[in-house]
Amino acid sequence: MNGESDMALAEQVEPGEAAEAPDAAEHPDLDRLEATAEVDPDLFAHASDEPPFGRRVLTTPLHLSVAAESSTNLWTDWNGYTTPEILTSLDDEYRVLRHAAALGDISPIVKYRISGRDAGAYLDRLVTGNVMQLSVDEAMPVVFCEDRGFVVGDGHLFRLGEGEYRLVTEETHLAWLLDSALGFQVRIEDVSATLAALSLQGPHAAAVLNAAGFCEIETLRPYGARWFDISGMPVYASRTGATGELGYELWLDPEDAPMLWARLFDKGAEFGIAATGFALRELARIEVGIPRAGCDYLGAFTAVDPADASTPFELGLASLVDLDGGHFTGREALRRLKQREPRHLVVALALDFPEPIQFCAIERDGGIEGIVTSSGFSQALGVNLALGRLRYAASVGALAVGVDFREGLRVRRLKIPARLLTEPAIISPLRHTVPAPLLADY
Amino acid sequence: MQLADRSFDAIVIGGGHNGLVAAAYLAKAGKRVILLEASDHLGGAVTTGEISPDYMVSTAAHLVEAMPRRIEKDLKLARNGLRFAARNVSTVALSRDKRHLTLSSRRQDLAALRQWNAHDATALIAFSDRLKAHAAALRPLLLASAPRSGGASLDAKAAFRSLVWRARRLGQPSLEALLRTLPGSIGDLVDDTFEMPLLRAAFAFDAVRGAAEGPYSPGTALNLIYRRALQHERKGTSLPRGGMGALVEALRRSAEGFGVAIKTGTAAKRIIIENGIAKGVETEAGDFLHAPAILSSVDPRATMLDLVGHAHLDAGLASRLAQASRRGATAKLNLALEGLPTIAGLSPAEYGARLLVLPSLNEFDQAFASFKRGKLPDELAMEVTVPSVVDATLAPIGHHVMSVLIQYVPFDVAGGWAAQRDRLLDRVIGTLSLYAPDIRARIIAGEMLLPPDIEAKFGLEGGEWHGGEMRPDQLLMFRPAPELAQYRTPLKGLYLCGAGNHPGGGVSGRPGQLAAELALSDGRRA
Repeated sequence: MNGESDMALAEQVEPGEAAEAPDAAEHPDLDRLEATAEVDPDLFAHASDEPPFGRRVLTTPLHLSVAAESSTNLWTDWNGYTTPEILTSLDDEYRVLRHAAALGDISPIVKYRISGRDAGAYLDRLVTGNVMQLSVDEAMPVVFCEDRGFVVGDGHLFRLGEGEYRLVTEETHLAWLLDSALGFQVRIEDVSATLAALSLQGPHAAAVLNAAGFCEIETLRPYGARWFDISGMPVYASRTGATGELGYELWLDPEDAPMLWARLFDKGAEFGIAATGFALRELARIEVGIPRAGCDYLGAFTAVDPADASTPFELGLASLVDLDGGHFTGREALRRLKQREPRHLVVALALDFPEPIQFCAIERDGGIEGIVTSSGFSQALGVNLALGRLRYAASVGALAVGVDFREGLRVRRLKIPARLLTEPAIISPLRHTVPAPLLADY
Repeated sequence: MQLADRSFDAIVIGGGHNGLVAAAYLAKAGKRVILLEASDHLGGAVTTGEISPDYMVSTAAHLVEAMPRRIEKDLKLARNGLRFAARNVSTVALSRDKRHLTLSSRRQDLAALRQWNAHDATALIAFSDRLKAHAAALRPLLLASAPRSGGASLDAKAAFRSLVWRARRLGQPSLEALLRTLPGSIGDLVDDTFEMPLLRAAFAFDAVRGAAEGPYSPGTALNLIYRRALQHERKGTSLPRGGMGALVEALRRSAEGFGVAIKTGTAAKRIIIENGIAKGVETEAGDFLHAPAILSSVDPRATMLDLVGHAHLDAGLASRLAQASRRGATAKLNLALEGLPTIAGLSPAEYGARLLVLPSLNEFDQAFASFKRGKLPDELAMEVTVPSVVDATLAPIGHHVMSVLIQYVPFDVAGGWAAQRDRLLDRVIGTLSLYAPDIRARIIAGEMLLPPDIEAKFGLEGGEWHGGEMRPDQLLMFRPAPELAQYRTPLKGLYLCGAGNHPGGGVSGRPGQLAAELALSDGRRA
């Protein structure tokens, strides 16, 4: 059964068109009209195609479902997709995440299908970790570098079958994935637009899914994944997420996504399920201390100056680098870099300040030593948490953050003491619990 | 074969002249060396072949211009049978009006030119001096391995600073001229310098010979300086007695004299890599050879992508290697002739010279435009030698062989080579007849090697002679890629020693020598 659903999903992925023309296949009636009028269909073969990059604002398959939940009309952009910033209020959504089950539409995340005879070998050369150890229906966090050992991007790698993988990243990397594919029998498709994704995070997540028909979801181990048949809809559920909570991500056909969304609300109501937006996703990852590509660090090909690029060691991702396994791009460089002091570190900071601050300087002894790249106010802890980039030599000692604070029409310059966090500020004990709790009274 | 289970100090892959030079240097230093050559003869495109029984000619490359005297001495090539039929071969630009122009700075040649065009005679002296000075400024960069580039290294910066310093020592105008010349085209440079079309075309031809760039392509002025700098180590163009194959034969005897085991007909299948270290070579026959040092003189791309394999390389390096351009632009025609064709106006001594058949610079540029579009050029530029004039071993008494390099012949031609081959041949013979009207009647036999033939026969990708085009973006620290420019590879123990590496092609032997010296010094340090 699982194998069949796998195939069914795979066949709906249109290579090439997938990335740029999400709704190219949505006009079968037009095609039929042309056929009855006996016009050479080749003349109009591309008529329904959108010009590449022509459409700048995209909506996800769940847009209408999500929009129905919005009481703020606050929207933002995520990889070109219209995404809710906040649906009700950030405080309410935060409470749902930490105490019930927060549902989010993460379809805008970038997804690549990587398949073929050499898919495993290809990925093993691409990422710094050991892909050969990944079993079917398992996921692993990955980071991938270019030749100099600078991080190109990071994300999660899922193994869906023998020679069938899915790479999920924050930014697009198709050019680099294709460059790396030389010499390997592998097929790489951007399936971002043809694969919907939902994130359900919170202590009641397993209970909601269980009620919605995901049988034995509680037995799924962290980073485990499995196919489920939910009233005829094939859904791939993985125990993953970037919130530090017990949580799952659900991958399915775009046509089925609104149905599943409705079903989760229907069955999850008693467990306190609620829809949440992008701001919560950001806050949660800041609380756990997960840097986001393009925000907390620049990819190697985005950074014009190598000084702006980062190594996995500088991002705190050293545990994802396996220097003793097979060869991967950047291995020799990373072997040398490991012997050296990192130039900077991406660090988590706690600031005693009541509002989120953005892009301000991190100081020590009056000198600028780094920059805050993302921040958010943690209700649970009552402090402002931030991720920032700090010069390595400055990563000990008393730090402060300089903030320009607006008071009416005056500016007050404040210097706020900052604490370096060595562990995630918040991490749920349920994250690693197997079986996951199914009771709502947790 | 008894190759299996034997280990060596070094394995050299590829028995071209660079492979032989590398193997000989290693063995001379006391190393046990084995050299593997896939085909059944050594030398690759440096070889002498038979056009027809008793008519021998250098099949592809036909002049020794860049091999340093030092390599000849170190490897005792003279003692191993290398003799030169002619040294200091002069260059004569042929003219259709029978007033041929000998290009040299000898007093009598300049006097002749002064009578013809006083301006150009003066300009030629100044131009030659400047060319010499620029080549001398560049030369130190060609004597050692290429400067390292990249953020951490000051190598390249230091190298270029010293280049500028050397040019500056020649005076401010010279520095300005150098900085202006480097990015410029040879066409613009000679247009500014000379009046005579023949003189312009002759220098332009030498800058783009064998290259897939036109006389007005940027960077071609540097080509001329670079080649002069390479040739400086030799002090004159030479013709080996017995053709280019004799050079390879002397290298073989030298290498074997030093103890190199040479295995022809033995192709390397893959280089064995363990944990980022090159451990040995597996041959097509299934033998495993082990050595701490492996030097490959075959194309860097083939070495890295085919023999090592993508899985052992960083993706950026692999894709840069895959993208490097290989456009062959030169065909070769070898003719067996009954008697010496008559070129009116050419003195008997000059038949042994390097003869240039040149269209006007404008037509030459047109020929390049045709080449770019995959068409046969209307006007052909050619380099012609008749080595049998100075080397009686090549043809029966009274008979001759002619060797012709034809510039701007595309790899793929519109209409296909099956249909176009004879048209090109006709055009070549027709053009030669303009200078030597009796040539057609004297042809006994001939062979023409088009770029696809050169690829098939010598394994030179794209029919490109230099193992990677010699253009500014593929020279020095970019040859063949920044990571590979110092003969070392990211794989410990694997070195590149072919023409695809610094300082490049042109039968210099220098990549082989420099790579071998580097491998030896690495070995001492280990």
